[in-house]
Amino acid sequence: MTKRKYTVLFLLFCFQLFAQSNDSLNVNFKVVFDRFPLELNKRYVSTKKDTITVTAFKCYVSDLEIQFADKTVFKEKNSHHLLDLANPSSLQIPITKNSDKIISKVTFNIGIDSTTNTSGALGGDLDPIQGMYWAWQSGYVNMKIEGQSPSCKTRKNQFEFHLGGYLQPYNAMRKKVININNKSDISISIDVSVFFAEVTLATTNSVMIPGKIAMELADLSSKMFYSE
Amino acid sequence: MKRAILILGFGGVVFGILAFSKSYFTPLYFEVPKSWPQPEYDFKKNPLSEEKFQLGRHLFYDPILSRDNSISCSSCHAQATGFTHVDHDLSHGIEGKKGTRNSLALINLAWNKDFHWDGGVNNLEVQPINPITNPVEMDEKLEHVVAKLQQSSKYRNLFAKAYGDEKVTSQRLLKALAQFTVSLKSTNSKYDQVMRGETSFDAQEQNGYVLFKKHCASCHTEPLFNSDKFERNGLAVDTALNDLGRIKITGRKEDHLRFKIPTLRNIQFTKPYMHDGRFKTLNEVIKHYNSLGHDKSLPKELAKPMNLSDNERVDMEVFLNTLTDKTFLFNPRFQFPRE
Ligand code: HEC
Ligand code: HEC
Repeated sequence: MTKRKYTVLFLLFCFQLFAQSNDSLNVNFKVVFDRFPLELNKRYVSTKKDTITVTAFKCYVSDLEIQFADKTVFKEKNSHHLLDLANPSSLQIPITKNSDKIISKVTFNIGIDSTTNTSGALGGDLDPIQGMYWAWQSGYVNMKIEGQSPSCKTRKNQFEFHLGGYLQPYNAMRKKVININNKSDISISIDVSVFFAEVTLATTNSVMIPGKIAMELADLSSKMFYSE
Repeated sequence: MKRAILILGFGGVVFGILAFSKSYFTPLYFEVPKSWPQPEYDFKKNPLSEEKFQLGRHLFYDPILSRDNSISCSSCHAQATGFTHVDHDLSHGIEGKKGTRNSLALINLAWNKDFHWDGGVNNLEVQPINPITNPVEMDEKLEHVVAKLQQSSKYRNLFAKAYGDEKVTSQRLLKALAQFTVSLKSTNSKYDQVMRGETSFDAQEQNGYVLFKKHCASCHTEPLFNSDKFERNGLAVDTALNDLGRIKITGRKEDHLRFKIPTLRNIQFTKPYMHDGRFKTLNEVIKHYNSLGHDKSLPKELAKPMNLSDNERVDMEVFLNTLTDKTFLFNPRFQFPRE
């Protein structure tokens, strides 16, 4: 009996080794405020001269695809990732084996597509427990930015941006293509200052439903992503 | 290379065990009556089994889903009344708090495309997140429910039976609840028996049926007596509630005051009626429809007066009563699980 147990353990061990023996290619996201790493609950000043603290930043990235210079393409299966600034490991996504090929492009969606949005109860990063799900109007929140600014004449000066919606004409998912030119890990910055450079916090500080404003802010959120 | 073979072998054994354990589940077959449309619900993504159905049934009747363990789904959805809230115009939830809408009957949900009066919910599986997290219904957090169930030996056991291991996740919980609610099928009313040629309508019922087909069936479409569409049926806005219906979801002007076209199956028992429960009897409902005809902006079926006589109104109600399905309302499989 014990002998068999050891055999099983040994096999598991081999399995582990095997799984780790290949380095993976990562897509690493870095959340920044004007090129400095964004820290939660720290004060920043926007180009509009608003003083801002961010208390939560979360967003979905889905359908990651890597195009190599040799025209081959890697598409990640079941590709849905919740990036959460409060959980640094969520910002590093190992997606495939490392190869020696030159990467030319990475494409992904900011948010969740309509098929996934209507697919019922899902798990993992798409588990509604993650707090990125609207119940009364089914659907995922693609991006959440919450915090405070004295420019918001709201309760506790709070701002809340929950950007989402999958029904036409208010589908707030945005496709992003980023050109790359290297072999190893891909680094992508998400610059929150780009968002606050354009939003007038005095008037726009609480967006919690799909619609026109969510669409405009989704366009803006797409400008936040760039390659370093 | 050798290692790879070993691993493959090991994988094979694991797979074998999984496949074997799977055979303990008792598959259920969802029968679709002849000449009915195909269900909307995607059974392939949640294949029915007796064990998952029973887990869902326990969950449906268990107040553990609410913050203070006082309210279960069945508090607002009671079987004897077609799984709707007995005699309440607006549903009551936790600590007696009042909601803003009349509870919906849970009947033949497998054929529904959208859920709730405004169609805001797009899949039966995610619907329970609403009552569970709504502050005036069950006021609980989904992660909390998962933790409470994980602590309960009864549920660890039921989850293990349903899924092969004791792990509780929101996905497993929601899929099991959907297995129960999707199975609430009513297909054996007198109307169905007549359609199957097993019996026939009496003269009054037959006359009511003819009137129904003329005035009502374009919206309350046979055989389900509902529709995927959202419509205005001439109800004046209740200014205290100010519920504008479908427009809240789509933001489209034409959806102003449009609501789901609900099923009329078991309508005799699902009172009160309409999204705010404003009518207590079918007589009032039919009177309402009969009073329309002066508002050109209503759907064309309701834009002209129906001019139903007193007798015709009675016949129509008599027909609606043929949609009552006692085998559904008293089906022991859908009752509170005793044991
Ligand atoms: C406090 C009362 C209350 C409780 C508790 C409650 N419901 Fe409901 N239910 C309602 C109301 C009210 C509606 C209509 C909601 C709306 O349209 O906004 C509804 C609608 C539904 C619908 C949609 C039916 C359709 O045809 O669109 C389903 C399914 C449902 N409930 C299932 C459940 C389940 C499962 C539970 C337990 C997890 C539950 N309900 C708990 C009151 C309740
Ligand atoms: C133009 C489409 C349309 C037509 C025609 C129509 N209805 Fe309706 N019916 C609706 C809608 C929409 C609702 C829900 C309205 C609401 O609650 O705001 C409804 C609700 C009802 C209800 C309440 C159901 C419940 O569960 O609360 C009954 C009963 C009913 N209709 C019976 C009839 C009868 C009988 C006729 C024919 C005389 C008829 N309807 C014709 C659209 C229609």
